[in-house]
Amino acid sequence: MSTVSEPLVGSSRSLSAAKRHKSIRKNSRRIYSAYQDHQQGSSDDEDKEEERVDSNDPEEMFQNIQYQKEIIANIRTRPWPMRRKLKVLKQAREIVLKYEGRLTRTRGYQTAGADLLKKLSRVLYNIVVLFIPWEVRIKKIESHFGSGVASYFIFLRWLFGINIVLTIMTGAFIVLPELLAGAPFGTTRSKTIPKEHMASAQDLDTIWSLGGYLQYSVLFYGYYGRLRKIGSAGYRLPLAYFLVGMAVFAYSFIILLRKMAKNSRLSLASASDENFTFCWRVFCAWDYLIGNPEAAESKGAAIVNNIREAIVEEQEKKKDTSLAVLISLRILANILVLLSLAGSIYIIYFVVERSQKLEQEKPELTLWEKNEVSVVVSLITMIAPSAFELVSQLEMYHPRTSLRFQLARVLVLYLGNLYSLIIALLDKVNSMSSAVPVSPGNWSDPSSFLATISQPEVDSLSTLVSEISEPRHSTITTIATLLNVRNTSTSSPGSFSNQTSLFEKNTRSQQDPCWETYVGQEMLKLSIIDMIFTVASILLIDFIRGLVVRYLSDCCCWDLESKFPEYGEFKIAENVLHLIYNQGMIWMGAFFSPCLPAFNVLKLIGLMYLRSWAVLTCNVPHQQVFRASRSNNFYLAMLLFMLFLCMLPTVFAIVRYRPSQHCGPFSGQEKIYDIISETVASDFPLWFSKVMSYVTSPVVVLPALLLLFMLIYYLQAIARSLKFTNNQLRMQLQTERTEDKKKVFQMAAARLNAPEAAADKKPDQQESDITSQEASLNTPSPQRNGSVTNFSSPVRHGNSIRTITQSASRAHLNRGRVAGSVRSPTVTILPKHRPEHIPNRAPPFVFGPSGTCRSKSYHHMAYNPPARYSDNIHSDPLYRKAIRSIHPVEAAGIITAQSYGGRRGHTTRYVIVNEHEPRKKLLRSSTRIPRHYLMEEPAEILELYPRNIKRYTPRATQHQPHPHRAHLSHQHLSEEEEDEEDGKGRRRMVSGKAHRPRSLSDLHQPAHFYIGDHVERHVSVVKGAHTRARVRYGGQGEDEEENDEGEMDWGDLELNSRVQANVRAADSLLVRTRRHIHSPDRHCQSPARTRHMESFVKPKMRPKLETPLTESDSASLASSSDQQNSSTDQYIQVIHNKEHHLKADAGQGKLAKKKSKTNFDLNVIESNDLVCSNV
Amino acid sequence: MTNADSSSFRLHGRYRELAPHLVPLDYTNNPDIRVPPTLIVTMPELKENPFRDRIVETFSEDGHGNLSFNDFVDMFSALCETSPRELKTIYAFKIYDFNRDNFICKEDLKKTLNKLTKGELSPEEVLLVCDKSMEEADLDGDSKLSFSDFENMVSKAPDFLSNFHVRI
Repeated sequence: MSTVSEPLVGSSRSLSAAKRHKSIRKNSRRIYSAYQDHQQGSSDDEDKEEERVDSNDPEEMFQNIQYQKEIIANIRTRPWPMRRKLKVLKQAREIVLKYEGRLTRTRGYQTAGADLLKKLSRVLYNIVVLFIPWEVRIKKIESHFGSGVASYFIFLRWLFGINIVLTIMTGAFIVLPELLAGAPFGTTRSKTIPKEHMASAQDLDTIWSLGGYLQYSVLFYGYYGRLRKIGSAGYRLPLAYFLVGMAVFAYSFIILLRKMAKNSRLSLASASDENFTFCWRVFCAWDYLIGNPEAAESKGAAIVNNIREAIVEEQEKKKDTSLAVLISLRILANILVLLSLAGSIYIIYFVVERSQKLEQEKPELTLWEKNEVSVVVSLITMIAPSAFELVSQLEMYHPRTSLRFQLARVLVLYLGNLYSLIIALLDKVNSMSSAVPVSPGNWSDPSSFLATISQPEVDSLSTLVSEISEPRHSTITTIATLLNVRNTSTSSPGSFSNQTSLFEKNTRSQQDPCWETYVGQEMLKLSIIDMIFTVASILLIDFIRGLVVRYLSDCCCWDLESKFPEYGEFKIAENVLHLIYNQGMIWMGAFFSPCLPAFNVLKLIGLMYLRSWAVLTCNVPHQQVFRASRSNNFYLAMLLFMLFLCMLPTVFAIVRYRPSQHCGPFSGQEKIYDIISETVASDFPLWFSKVMSYVTSPVVVLPALLLLFMLIYYLQAIARSLKFTNNQLRMQLQTERTEDKKKVFQMAAARLNAPEAAADKKPDQQESDITSQEASLNTPSPQRNGSVTNFSSPVRHGNSIRTITQSASRAHLNRGRVAGSVRSPTVTILPKHRPEHIPNRAPPFVFGPSGTCRSKSYHHMAYNPPARYSDNIHSDPLYRKAIRSIHPVEAAGIITAQSYGGRRGHTTRYVIVNEHEPRKKLLRSSTRIPRHYLMEEPAEILELYPRNIKRYTPRATQHQPHPHRAHLSHQHLSEEEEDEEDGKGRRRMVSGKAHRPRSLSDLHQPAHFYIGDHVERHVSVVKGAHTRARVRYGGQGEDEEENDEGEMDWGDLELNSRVQANVRAADSLLVRTRRHIHSPDRHCQSPARTRHMESFVKPKMRPKLETPLTESDSASLASSSDQQNSSTDQYIQVIHNKEHHLKADAGQGKLAKKKSKTNFDLNVIESNDLVCSNV
Repeated sequence: MTNADSSSFRLHGRYRELAPHLVPLDYTNNPDIRVPPTLIVTMPELKENPFRDRIVETFSEDGHGNLSFNDFVDMFSALCETSPRELKTIYAFKIYDFNRDNFICKEDLKKTLNKLTKGELSPEEVLLVCDKSMEEADLDGDSKLSFSDFENMVSKAPDFLSNFHVRI
């Protein structure tokens, strides 16, 4: 059936697909919602309906099935009880089964197959989990000690995995072929123990120091044959040896980098940190895995510490009373650390030197002398970290910082140890390889060369025979003569050297100058000793101590468990560092001792068991737990660092030193890497070597290098830009967040006001007023585009830019400030008040304003930040410019409206549009807000207006006189003080001028424009700076009589203006004056008026919006905050003004000016003139 | 399937362990069995958890911590390592919502803190931390954390997932 209908559906799909899809969505959503609500019965009904609806349309059916499947897939994420889940799951499955049968059979098979596959993969996964080594053990530890401790073991296991791979690589490609196909033990000279050592070859101390049989085994470089091809298959062992040696590093690098990339991808979510410091510490701190009382206790302590730290950081009242002492202490500590570092390096170097000397001077070395180097190194690595910890207590750093310091120091110490060791060893190698050439005199002489090589070969005849086969030994006679010359002891021929006496002393080193083996031995020895020390320290320091503490605490006078010895802490970070150090040793030595990775595997296994046992029995977790999720990459980064630094010496040795001449796979070559060129030359076809020679020529290499550099640079640039974008987006998010907050505030306010609104007598009328107003706001946009085109583009531009800057400037905001500013409007007197107080604000008088403020505030906020923080944004001058340039346009437009009656219609509208634009923007941004806000928001905004109007009519009248005064005074001031203004003000003015012509080219601008512009700038600057006192003033002012209030404010301003802010005071005045201009019309009820009222009230409230700021800038008490209101809203009113009003205002303004200015200037006339010219 | 069965058998074993006298092995009659919270809390997985009572209460159907086996399974399925983040967030919210008003208010925060720190912080410190946390996470300014606030906060926490799970 469905096969028939399918094509039909396909043809009609394009027509009705969208519709159908919608309906199906709806249907399924209905079902879904039925599941969601908690009535169990309803889902059944829905089910039936569902059946009815899409029984015929395969497409719908399919979608329904898809939807059901979605439900099945997501059922785990639903927080339902198990019973309900099962029920829903069953239902969904039934539906799927039922309908799926009606669709094509193949589809059913497909899904069935997919199901089967899924099940199978799950079973497989479960089986695989069983085989993950130590999974259970680690989980157990994790459940006792939390994820921090477990991260150490996971890291250990990961290292174990790497070492397994390395072991396989070396084992399969080097060791096994050598064992299987290489010359057997004792056949060649390099595989034979010299006779004089034969006796002691099986002694324990020889074995212990990796001499004797061990030295001549596959463990070390020297054992491997130099034959180019071995076995019947012609395995190229030397080549394999070299390639594997390099592959070890390559593999380690790749696997490390991959892991790091993966980790960093995982931890992307935590990129934005420190956002929820306290919340995270409260809600996400407890590790639910912890099941061990001690771990729980220490975790609890750690959490308390953490919270205390956060508190201290928050308060930041920590006084650095003893700063000098502290600094000197820190310097001292650093000196101590440096000294100990230098000391440890020196000691290691000294020990290596000494051992070298001893080896040369003494025929028989004691056990101590043989292991001196590794013991000393291990001791240092064990003791120094504790010493560092002691030292770091001197420094009194924050625990986190001190931990970082500690880790860095320990890492440096480890590196220093390894490096000094390897350098000392290489030094020795150097002396060894230089000593050899001296003895025979001239290497280029073939006979002498042969002589030196063949010296030891006489030990057995078989060697001799085997050596004969080699092409180089063409002259057997020379050997024969040398044989004659030689005694039983292998003294070098005196004729070649005059240092015979010396060589007889150190026959061993001279006879066996296989420096690669020597380095390998040392590394292996170091590794072994390190293991022993680790085991010993675990047993002694952790286990014995634990035993003592546990069982002797009763018979001791103090509490052993909590006071002095305590239990050993499991220091995650340091233990991880130790692992890294250990791995570094392996990497360093792997080339010279192919079995080192294998040994390390054993070591890690042992360590795993021992450590986990120790942790479970006798350790408590470290108090300062390193965060597991973050530290993972930290560990890896250190490991990478270690790998790189450990690779260097090896590579250096490979490149720099000549391989030993008669041991190892590369004997006889000038350099180790010659094996490559040799292979290329002899084993590959001719063209290949030709190609290789081209490829390696500078012509190719240099451009390739350049290309690489370019690539790196390019990628880095991309990464940087991405980072930048990332930051921007984050800022935007933050802005959104604050916007959200504001939205919600409005909603809360609206909700509170809602009952009152219902009580209002003419709410409908008001609403309609508002709506009409809104409509008018909306309509102008085409008009503006048509008639005032020159306006539109800059304005839009400005708006768009404003959003950006806003987001940028938001970043500078601290959250508290914004939150405070948003919250505060609701209360009159309290400096900072919480929404909790809202219910208490019973008096409607106070109520109304708060509502308006809220409704406005978001508009205000959207507008202000760029201006307010424009000075703070140093990074984006471009934006800043744009903002400045925009404001003037608006202001200018507004003022033109004021002065030119004929233009009124246009300009006012324009102004409105201007004002409306940010609002629109806000609405747009609100779409990104969680759904539940979306629905109600626009309505609420609308609602807010009427109320304000009502409440504020009387108030506005009260305020009237004062703004009048202010107006004139401001004008005067601005005129007068243009000279006094600082550079900033001037700049702004200039920018304002520059822009205005564009917008109002047809108008001649009175000076007032400029003033207005720059003043506005100032206002915006000042806005950020409200002190608490200011806020209070604002609150008081509301309650007081008009005159008193005005006087008080002015007095206040006066005081403040003395500081330096004359101009700013003036600005605030200006704003008031503007507002005031409209006031005469107050009694007439027009929408514009209502807006005006709002704006009028708002300045009063605004100060309260701002929580006390750091900048104690005084002036701009109330009015300063809303420059855009003054410029936009109020100018709607301006239209209605009459000249005489202004003049009257001017008269009042004089008074105000006198008050505001500290010195009573006599430019009253001037100001009057100004006013006249203005209007 | 077999795997799920075996693990639920194991889980039932653990469940029965808690109260052998209460829990039968035979469910044929669908008996209504609930293990009281005092017994559940003694599980080693929970006994050190400061929020153990809340956890048990959250997952119990009656809200008093009496867990039926279904609830028991619910609890460990929500707290297991592989359960999705959203689910964990939902239950974490429920756990921290002490008074079950679907908001984490200051009182809840205070209780959480006191449980977490075992009362080691002074009242002033607790108050400060509460205020600060509220300020950080409260997006809508109602001075209590709604679920969306909580989700937003938790979704950015780096170690919520690694910390908020119990192994059984």
